Amino acid sequence: MRRIACAIAGLVLVAACGGGGGSSPSSGTPKAGGTATIALESELRTLDPLDSSLLVEREVFYNIYDSLFTIDPSLKISAGLVKSWDVSDPTTYKFTLQSGVKYQDGTVFDAQSVKDNIARYQTAATSRRKSDLKSVSSVEVVDATHVNFHLAKPDATLLATLVDRAGMMLSMGAVKNGGQNFSLAPTGAGTGPFAFVEWKRNDHLTLKKNSTYWKSGLPYLDGITYKAIPDVNAILAALKTGDIDIARTIAPKDVAGIKSDSGFIYRDTPAIGFNGFELNTGAPPFNDAAKRKAVALAVDRSQILKNINFNIGVVGYGPIPPSSWAFDPNEKIYDRANPAAAKAAATGFTFTYKTTSDPINQQLAALLQSQLAAAGITMNIQTEEFATYVQECANHKFEACNVNWSGRIDPDGNTYAWWHTAGDFNDSLYSNSQVDTWLEDARVNTDQGKRKQDYVNAQKQLVGDAPYVFTVFGVSAQISSNKIHGFTLYPDLMIRMAEVWKG
Amino acid sequence: MSNAPALLTSQASIRRTRIQLLALGRTHPAVTFATALVALLFLVALLAPLISPHDPIAVNADDSYLPPLSPSHLLGTDELGRDLFSRMLWGARVSLPVAFVAVAVGLFVGGLIGLVSGYAGGVIDLLLMRFIDALLAFPALILAIAIVAALGPGLRNAMIAIGIVAIPGYARLVRALVLQLKQMEFITRSLGATPMRLIVRHLIPNLLNPIIVQISLSAGFAILAEATLSFLGLGAQVPTPDWGQMINSGATFLENDPWLAIVPGAAISLTVYSFNLLGDSLRDALDPRLRS
Amino acid sequence: MTTYVLRRLALMVPVAFLVTIGVFMLIHLTPGDPALIILGEDRSPQAIAAIHQQLGLDQPLYVQYLIWLGHILHLDLGRSITTHQSVTTAITERLPATLELGAVALIWSLLVGIPLGTIAAVRRGSIADRLATGFTVGGVSIPNFFIGIVLIFALSVSLRLFPFGGYVPFIQDPFENLRHVVLPAIALGTAGAAINMRFTRSSMIEVLNNDYIRTARAKGASWRRVVFIHALKNALIPVVTIVGLQIGGIIEGAVVTETVFTWPGVGRLAVESILNRDYTVVQGIVLLAAFSYMFANLVVDVVYGWLDPRISFA
Repeated sequence: MRRIACAIAGLVLVAACGGGGGSSPSSGTPKAGGTATIALESELRTLDPLDSSLLVEREVFYNIYDSLFTIDPSLKISAGLVKSWDVSDPTTYKFTLQSGVKYQDGTVFDAQSVKDNIARYQTAATSRRKSDLKSVSSVEVVDATHVNFHLAKPDATLLATLVDRAGMMLSMGAVKNGGQNFSLAPTGAGTGPFAFVEWKRNDHLTLKKNSTYWKSGLPYLDGITYKAIPDVNAILAALKTGDIDIARTIAPKDVAGIKSDSGFIYRDTPAIGFNGFELNTGAPPFNDAAKRKAVALAVDRSQILKNINFNIGVVGYGPIPPSSWAFDPNEKIYDRANPAAAKAAATGFTFTYKTTSDPINQQLAALLQSQLAAAGITMNIQTEEFATYVQECANHKFEACNVNWSGRIDPDGNTYAWWHTAGDFNDSLYSNSQVDTWLEDARVNTDQGKRKQDYVNAQKQLVGDAPYVFTVFGVSAQISSNKIHGFTLYPDLMIRMAEVWKG
Repeated sequence: MSNAPALLTSQASIRRTRIQLLALGRTHPAVTFATALVALLFLVALLAPLISPHDPIAVNADDSYLPPLSPSHLLGTDELGRDLFSRMLWGARVSLPVAFVAVAVGLFVGGLIGLVSGYAGGVIDLLLMRFIDALLAFPALILAIAIVAALGPGLRNAMIAIGIVAIPGYARLVRALVLQLKQMEFITRSLGATPMRLIVRHLIPNLLNPIIVQISLSAGFAILAEATLSFLGLGAQVPTPDWGQMINSGATFLENDPWLAIVPGAAISLTVYSFNLLGDSLRDALDPRLRS
Repeated sequence: MTTYVLRRLALMVPVAFLVTIGVFMLIHLTPGDPALIILGEDRSPQAIAAIHQQLGLDQPLYVQYLIWLGHILHLDLGRSITTHQSVTTAITERLPATLELGAVALIWSLLVGIPLGTIAAVRRGSIADRLATGFTVGGVSIPNFFIGIVLIFALSVSLRLFPFGGYVPFIQDPFENLRHVVLPAIALGTAGAAINMRFTRSSMIEVLNNDYIRTARAKGASWRRVVFIHALKNALIPVVTIVGLQIGGIIEGAVVTETVFTWPGVGRLAVESILNRDYTVVQGIVLLAAFSYMFANLVVDVVYGWLDPRISFA
């Protein structure tokens, strides 16, 4: 059917059930051939990592383009187009590239290509990757397979950034040939397992096997078809009729049914984002820390998890989810709703909570309203149309605003922009110099142990100060027909198809 | 020509129209039936707080998705444990005022425009009617959606949007009636004073009747429009129990609990049916051509 | 006749002008910044400012309006703010789906409405007539999205006879295409069927009462002959008008039906574009819709006048 708001908001994570992760048991030897159809939750706008800003676009990118680095299912940085790396000098990263890699249009991937790509991301007029690559001051070509990145100052998050769009390598020749329509038809532009064939908006997007893929023997599939299906019920229906083979998300209410159906596979693993709502610390009533704390204490996260998410996922306490190396399992202040403690902190006040008209958001709002009422706090629900709501929250015109975050693989991506003073997503106007110091140190410190300590400290402070009330952590799921094998579950919600086979 | 006798006669004919309308019930059973239905709806809306077994907005998360005929929940509960029957009854309190306000906006604004346009004639008429044409040329639903998007989702803004969409209909109707009136007046002036009485006796009912019919029909249309806007998430918002919004959230659960969508849908259909039937039967009953 | 048509065409110009102002003001004065929608998770003050500049959104409103008006006069609807696709292409891409839906809905409304109306007229006053009359009112009272949802529940979810929604182009697979269009067309066309039924019935009754029909009957012509050859032809004249006006209503209803059935048509594009603040697309669609509506009205009036010789164009 229809979920207009959902179709647009790539920000809303549908949380699903908790369960095992990692790769699926390979039953038998991989068979080559066949095509897989994958459901996308909304239509894409561009196929060029340069100006992409939607989650669904990244789902396609990871199969067309390779990035300089990749991750393994535990979110550890692994080799991508960069075979080995030396980051002993924090301002000069030395990368050794894979050799013998060709783009799908036949041109060679080499250090010069890396330099050209980074330059394009940093300077092109429509580039959205500029802030991603802020710390890179220059790229030096040593020889065909060796390249050095010179950093303006140490940046412990750069490698993680180069796993995603800013690290995706495109053939400059293909970009030039594509011209103005490149973002709609990036023919031959990637080095990835599948090459672009055609894109008919609102109908289908097809990729075909890259026969010169540098990882020999892969991919197994002959091709992939993507279909944009904006409604989660329609996705389930399409799965059942066999119109699609793989989906990333279905409605939480349907998970139990799919799990018990032997024709399908359902697995999930903790994802990398967080859910909840932000409070505006710059204006009444939430410039008063006691009131924020009261709200955070009064929210019954378990009830939300049960009623909205059908117990798929886990209760969330802070911005760092269980999938991250920086996760703090001891952070449990708000395990159960505590109306008594809430009342002790502050009670008898009223505030307005902004959300969209999407039925799930509405249901959550009504639930929160009744939970807070039990602590003597009156919450008024103000539903706004999606575009208006985005603008008002971004411009600090709110008291409470329901915003979720799809997450980034490095904990910096879940914290800095949100709660560092004047961060890009710091709608709450939160400012704490100690937290700033921790987050800044974590950005440049190359010792992961020290970084983790920074994040643990910052998270503790954030949870206590409650500029954001966290509710649940979601999951990254595989929902597919039982003919799909070799599917590895990644917490970053991305479906990587190189090793998937059908049989 | 003195206006006094004409005025007296027009008052008499208004009275006569009222008697005529009341007498319709006897000769046209459809009118009685439709009026009874509409009256019942108003009654339900008025008495909903008294006759609802539960609070329609009280969240009771542990009791969600109960099927119909559960103990103390005649029609079951929804995703937050709210009683469906109570919400259905309260929905009438939301829908009927919408019909009122939307029709009122359309009637008064549109009627005013039509009145001025028809009476003044000339350039003013030309300009005003072009405005009306422009308004009419907008696809109605898209116009309503755009207005609500501009004003912000919510019941009040939905009413305004629907009222605006209803304006052209009333403007044209009133203008046509005013033109008729002017034509009659011209004819009587040229014929002499006497036929005035006869003309007025026939004219007033002829003016009021189409407006009455239009009001009934546009009330039905207004409720449908509000349901559509709420279904799209642009009308009544949580926690207001609104039928269109209930269909919207209920549609998600079609496979598991179809009642969540079917109950409000039936309620809307019945309400709109009542208004449409009233308008239709009134039109049939008051139409001199169809009088057997 | 020619002067009439020319006069109508001339009157369309100021109306069209008013429509352009109306839609431009409405969508631009709606709160919500398209730059934020475009940027999604990549927003930063610099990026937002860059987009404003790229799209010319930092100019005063009247300047933006005049620029757009200038483009329209060159028949250029501009490019979508969110996808950079040409607006004309975006519309023409999705138009076939909407037209198909509308056409099938119209066919359904005629297939159901005219026979039912004829039967009701012929058997006036009987139970069949009463039931049918009940349908005329009922059919326009049920929200079309509700009909859609009930159909989905009964025939798609429960019986798996028809798909949930979505669209398959006719060229690709005619059978699947028809399977996908059935439910939305029924949902969309039922109200029209009710309207057609009523008008067929009432105009048939009027015609059947006409003197020349009575004369034909008196002369011994069979009922069937009378109905089909004489009555129906004349009764259909007002129906033609109604059908013409219904086309506008079907485009309206398509908006919601396309949403319910995830049908990739222009209606859904319009709604999504409003919600995305994709100014150019909304403006383009409304403008085209307004022109189609006015032209359709003109065509209907002309056809009506041509069919019924009693009408003259003074």
